[in-house]
Amino acid sequence: MKAWNVFYKQFITYNGYKTVLNGLLTTVEIAVLGLIIGILIGTIIAVVKVMPKYKILPKILEKVCDVYVAFFRGTPMVVQLLIGYFVLMPALNIMLDGVYVAIIIFGLNSGAYVSEIMRSGIQSVDAGQLEAGRAVGLSFWTAMLKIVIPQSIKNILPTLGNEFIVLIKETSIVSFIAVTDVTKAFRAIGDANYEYIIPYLTLALVYLVIVLLITFLIRLMERRLKRSERSK
Amino acid sequence: MKEVNKETVISIKGLTKNFGEKEVLKGIDLDIFNGDKIAIIGPSGCGKSTFLRCINCMEDATSGAIWFDGENLADMKVDINVHRQKIGMVFQQFNLFNNLNVLDNITLAPVIVAKNKRKKIQRQNLKIWFKNLFSKQKTAYLELGDDIKIIKEKAELKAIELLKQIQLEEYAKAYPSTLSGGQKQRIAIVRALAMDPKVILFDEPTSALDPEMVGEVLELMKRLANDGMTMVIVTHEMGFAREVANRVIFIDGGKIVEENAPSEFFTNPQNERLKDFLSKVL
Repeated sequence: MKAWNVFYKQFITYNGYKTVLNGLLTTVEIAVLGLIIGILIGTIIAVVKVMPKYKILPKILEKVCDVYVAFFRGTPMVVQLLIGYFVLMPALNIMLDGVYVAIIIFGLNSGAYVSEIMRSGIQSVDAGQLEAGRAVGLSFWTAMLKIVIPQSIKNILPTLGNEFIVLIKETSIVSFIAVTDVTKAFRAIGDANYEYIIPYLTLALVYLVIVLLITFLIRLMERRLKRSERSK
Repeated sequence: MKEVNKETVISIKGLTKNFGEKEVLKGIDLDIFNGDKIAIIGPSGCGKSTFLRCINCMEDATSGAIWFDGENLADMKVDINVHRQKIGMVFQQFNLFNNLNVLDNITLAPVIVAKNKRKKIQRQNLKIWFKNLFSKQKTAYLELGDDIKIIKEKAELKAIELLKQIQLEEYAKAYPSTLSGGQKQRIAIVRALAMDPKVILFDEPTSALDPEMVGEVLELMKRLANDGMTMVIVTHEMGFAREVANRVIFIDGGKIVEENAPSEFFTNPQNERLKDFLSKVL
């Protein structure tokens, strides 16, 4: 019972719960904003990759995207965070809060992964849809935006949800750049008395609950999309 | 046969198309006149669909020229999107936009085109405003045209009007997945009509339909033909070609082998390959 009492004292009496709640908010914030940036970047890369390559510009763009994806998939996210926070920021002489750096790096990183998800989603839509769009005189980008991408979203929603879950869990590394997320909040509680059993088990439970919640929400969304399909 | 007005809509000169090493089209010349109903027939794999798709650059021609509206569509510098608005296309697989309801399927392109035109005028007006700042001579602004809301309303009214003509106005809010093949194809034709095209290309419009539904689509196409629409039709419906077309073209091995008025074409074919083909399909 000693462990429990220590935890209780640290969590309630010394306001540990406040740090935890703030950390939780930071965790969700980084993951959600990171995913939004990732979806934007990923969609652009995916469209560039499926673009017809007659002209020189799309070819150059594709090479740029290839390099980008190779870098962000080929190096650990911790390293990217460290480079962003300790190398790029001083070099460019800007001061940003660690949270913002984390959001940007998570966005850039997930963009590389989402681009592949998006590409397979776009390719799963019948080629005739794009063709019909072009045949009535829409430009490639307009046809993509109005016809192909809306249809691909339904196909990729489960995989996109998976990416969100990965991001949520991956945020546990942001303490490397002095950001207090939920992991760091619980570690601080443990550090106070060198009593780690309950803080870390609770931490695991917190992540589990978040992930289960997201899974549930995605199921709900999927079912709704399917329902609209049937009632069409 | 009604005397056709001999104004050229599309003029195709020496069109060739290679897929890699394979030569699919080996130099096709064809003038499409206003009001023409051209039926293109031929054995499968002869390049007739490829030829049709080259006309509006769904496939890019390897060499040759496609003259339309005073510009060569085969030239990569030409803004193909502008010209495609005036060349309708109907596909074998209908290709209605699955994420949009019937009404939006029809209005999507007209609304976007009108909006883009409006944006362009707004940009020009901005330039004029800027120029007016620095010069004493004031330039008048350009007419902006309809509001976006009115653009939408007009397009919808027109779409409903077109849907009424094919007795499908009750399906305006339905999604393509709930429609039959014949209904989809008729809506696809209406979608092409909504752009007021100068010519419509039909790529085997009845080949993916149940036999029961072929009739309703052909009926609509006949009505278009009677209204004087210029049509190029790749088809296997010999009866339809004979009845509606004023020119029938037989393509074999990537070339136009024979062209004639339908009466001559079907009763008195000259080419050996065509005789053989007709004996099999008629």
